[in-house]
Parts: sequence; C-alpha cells; structure tokens
Amino acid sequence: MKARQNGRGSNDAPHVCEGDGLSGRFLAKLVLLNVRASETRYGMTVVAARSSEWMRPVTSQEPASAIIEIDRVSQVFQTSARKDHLALSDISLTIEEGAFVSILGPSGCGKSTLLYIVGGFVSPTSGMAKIKGHAITGPGPDRGPVFQEFALFPWKTVLGNVMYGPRQQGVRAAEAEAQSRALIEMVGLKGFESFYPKELSGGMKQRVALARTLAYHPEVLLMDEPFGALDAHTRTRLQNDLLTIWERDRKTVLFVTHSVDEAVFLSDKVVMMSKSPGRIRQVIDIDLPRPRRRNELLLDPRYQKYVVDIERMFDESDEAGPVS
Amino acid sequence: MMTPAALTKRAAPVLACIGLLAVWQVASLALKNDSFPTAIEAVRAIPDILGDKESLLNILASLRRMAIGFGVAVLVSIPLGLLMGRSRSIAAFFNPLLMVIYPVPKAALMPIIMLWLGVGDVTKTLVIFLGVSLPVIYHSFEGAKAVEEKMLWSGAAMGLSPAQRLVRIVLPAALPEILTGCRTGLVLALITMITSEMIARQSGAGNILFNALDMGQYDTVFAMIIIVGAMGIFLDALFERARARLVRWSEPQFDMPLSFS
Repeated sequence: MKARQNGRGSNDAPHVCEGDGLSGRFLAKLVLLNVRASETRYGMTVVAARSSEWMRPVTSQEPASAIIEIDRVSQVFQTSARKDHLALSDISLTIEEGAFVSILGPSGCGKSTLLYIVGGFVSPTSGMAKIKGHAITGPGPDRGPVFQEFALFPWKTVLGNVMYGPRQQGVRAAEAEAQSRALIEMVGLKGFESFYPKELSGGMKQRVALARTLAYHPEVLLMDEPFGALDAHTRTRLQNDLLTIWERDRKTVLFVTHSVDEAVFLSDKVVMMSKSPGRIRQVIDIDLPRPRRRNELLLDPRYQKYVVDIERMFDESDEAGPVS
Repeated sequence: MMTPAALTKRAAPVLACIGLLAVWQVASLALKNDSFPTAIEAVRAIPDILGDKESLLNILASLRRMAIGFGVAVLVSIPLGLLMGRSRSIAAFFNPLLMVIYPVPKAALMPIIMLWLGVGDVTKTLVIFLGVSLPVIYHSFEGAKAVEEKMLWSGAAMGLSPAQRLVRIVLPAALPEILTGCRTGLVLALITMITSEMIARQSGAGNILFNALDMGQYDTVFAMIIIVGAMGIFLDALFERARARLVRWSEPQFDMPLSFS
C-alpha cells in the first residue's frame, strides 16, 4: 500500500492535465479515499463501495452510437456426456462505435464463444447479436477476426496473406499490393513480405494476422486472446503496437483476454465475466488518459488500482464457494 | 566443389543398385538354377524388349491405362475426400462403404468386372482406378479434417462462400497430405496395372512378363521386372519433384541434422 501511495504522489501531476483533467483529478481523490478505506476496512464492504463508483455512466465528450448490440444471448453446448452445458447465460451488452472493449474472464467462461457469436461463426441458442441494427447471421468483412492461433494461410507468403482479403473484395491486384505493403510496414514487418508463415516467429505471425485483417477494413476488430500464445516480452511489444495502431483510426475493438493487466492497459471498458454459466459480472469503465504509454501507465496509481480491484473481484468470486 | 557428405548422399542410390545387382549375380551363380538367370543375362535382355516394336506398344498401352486410371481416380477422390473431411454427414455415409472396399484386393474383383465389362481396357483401367482411389480418398480426408477451423473462419470473414472455402482454403491447406496419398496411389497404380494384365492377358507389360514365364524365358521375365521397377523409380522421382515444388511452403526452411546422419 505504501509503495502505491508514494507512486501516486510523484506521478499524479503529469497525467491529469491532458484534456481529461477533471475526471482524472476526481479519480485520484477517489483512489486516495479507497486506499485509506482498504487499510481500515475488510474486503466485501470496500469492494461494494467501489463497485458503485465504477458503475457510474461513461464521462465521454460526444455521445457515441452503438455499433454492436448483444441482446439476451444464451449458448448451450452439448458435452460428450450428452449433458447440456450452459456456456453463456442471458448476455446483453452494447458496444459503442470506436470503443476498445475487453471481455475478461477465467477460461471456460464463454468469453470466446461470445466473440464468435458476434463474428457470426457460431449461432446463439437464443437471443441475437446485431451490428449497426442488422441481425448477425454469419461472418462478414465488416467484422475482422484475429485469433490466438493466428490462422494464417501457410501456403501464402506474408504479402499473399495480407492481400488475400482485399483481392477477395475485388480490389485490383496492384492497388491491393500497395496497400498491403504499407500495412506490412505499419506492423513492423518490412522486408519479410516474401516469407512464408512457417519461417516467422509467433509474434511476427500475429503481426501478419493483424495486418491481414486490417487489410479488408473491417469496422470491428474481433480479437480472441491474440497475444495469449506469445512470450511476455513479445506480448508487451504487441500490446504497445496495437495501441499505437488503434489510436490512429480508432476502430471498434472487441478484445477477449484472461489477463487483467492487458485488459486495463488497452481498454476503454472491461466486461468482467464469471464462469458456469457464463454471465456478465460487471462492466467497468477504464478512465485512463490516452494516448497511453506503458512506462507511464504502469506507474500510475489509477492503473494499478484498476488492476488490483479487478483481481480482487475475481478472487472473491473464487472464494465464494463452488459456482458450478 | 562437393563435400564428402554431399558426395556420399549423391552416390548412395547408385551404390545400392550396383550392390543389389552384385548380390543377385553371386546368388544366381551359386544356385545354378535355370529359372534364376544372372543379373547380367537379365540386363542383356532389356534392349531386346525395348527394341521390339510390339513389346514397346504393349508397354505404352499399359502406361496409358495407368495414366487414365490414376488421373480419373485422383480427380474423383480428392473432392470426395475433402468433402468427407469437412462434413460429418458425408463422412458418415461414405466411411462404411470405403471400409468394406479397403481390405479387398482389387485384383480379386477383376473376374467379376471382366464378366460385366469384358477383358479390354475398361476393366483394367477400372481396377487401377479402384486401387488408386482409396489411399487418395483417405489422405484427402485426413488432410481436410486437420485444417484449422479458424483458418476457414478467417476466409469466411473475408467473404469466401462455402464452395470457395473448400477449393481455396481446404484444398491448398490439405495439399501436402493429399500428395502423400497420391504418391502411394501412384505406386499402387503400377502394381494394379501389372496384376490386372496378369489376370486379363491380352496386352501390356504384365502380359509380356507372364507370357515369358509360361514359355520359360526367364531372362525376359527378370528383364521385365527390372523395367517395371525402373518405371516405378522414374515415376516416383518425377512425382516427388513436382510435389516438392507444390508444397515448398510446408517444408522446413533450414535442414536440421538428423540424429543418425
């Protein structure tokens, strides 16, 4: 606790004056209050108090419009024992255009399934998902997936992979190639255009996968634990690069992860899910200034507090006894 | 300049052939059996066969049947195997049928097919077709089954229709496995080609071989065995070259030394 307070004291000032000053200062006070509170009080009550703070409406400058609406979606899978497993139970969620939203939860909470439903790869057992008011009935180029498994086309070179989408959309070869080369450069793979996926490292493959998806200009990026298979160092670098790329065009991103740090670092909003059945536990607005820089953010007590609070909430649900 | 290791690698197959012929020569000299000519006698008989116009036409007719049987089998089996690999109901329908046909020696079906279709080209080509299709179907099936679902999802998000996904994603992704099946199929085509001509004697390389056997011309018999063997090696080498070009992307880029090299 002491260390965090000190950290806040020395690093608070530079962050609150980026147009976001008021809310930043407001938050800093809350942090201070809560740090004190948690020194004197115990778990449950403190968290309850906090939860209500996080649930206040987003203090966004302009009214954002909903791009994705998930309406009472449930998903039942049949397990091998012929029992029904309720993977998702009555999920409703609205995602605003241009928002970076993370779905955070333990493995098996159905967070990937929810993403696949938005992608149109899986049809929900009940309820429906909509994009721009239209019901989602299948995959489409308006929603671009990026998978943990990369899922690159191994018989195509890096350039061939990135060009695949635009070519399929009917973009002329020369134009598609020029755009793809620019994208490959943007994700930091200039010089690797003629390499096959087999010859690339995991981090490079995921960069190609991101470029390949960005190449056909989806309105929403659906990222399914994209950095989950990477080592810690590569993971950090890709998170930074993803943020830099995202901050340029602010596409809507739906990002599935089980890493609390990752969710807080990247997102405007974190959707916390619980397991068995998969339910939305809490939606938390991450009110941290952008552009976010990792080295600054890690020292920022507000960031630290989000991480600690979310982790604590997950711990409590574990301790609350068997949930299944 | 070739390193000693590279030189050994190049010379190894030639040495193996020479070694085999040498063992044969010694064995035949030691056994002194009329039905076992020496390697030199057999090799000497080769130009006689290849110089004879009728024999040559026979061999070419065999190769033509083999090419047609193999080609049609590949064209039918790959799509069927791919469909089976991506659709559980199609697999559930065809799997039992294939299980019944797989262990039956295709030559055993020949007498029946001969009753229906006669002893001509159609019967022999059909038997070759049956011999080739099963390994090709099986490997196409396995290859298609192993294609990552998420690769297909990526394609679907780009706007590929189900048919396009089968042709433009499943087919190339499964190609290394498919070509393994085709390679087995090629060898089986050669084997069924000879057996079919053994059963329905009329023309072909197998016909030359078994006629010579009937007439006790053992040097011709062994010469034909060498010719058929050489055709096998040549076709396989040709196929292997084509395969390596087609699936270069799946071969490891840097040769790792094997444990016992």
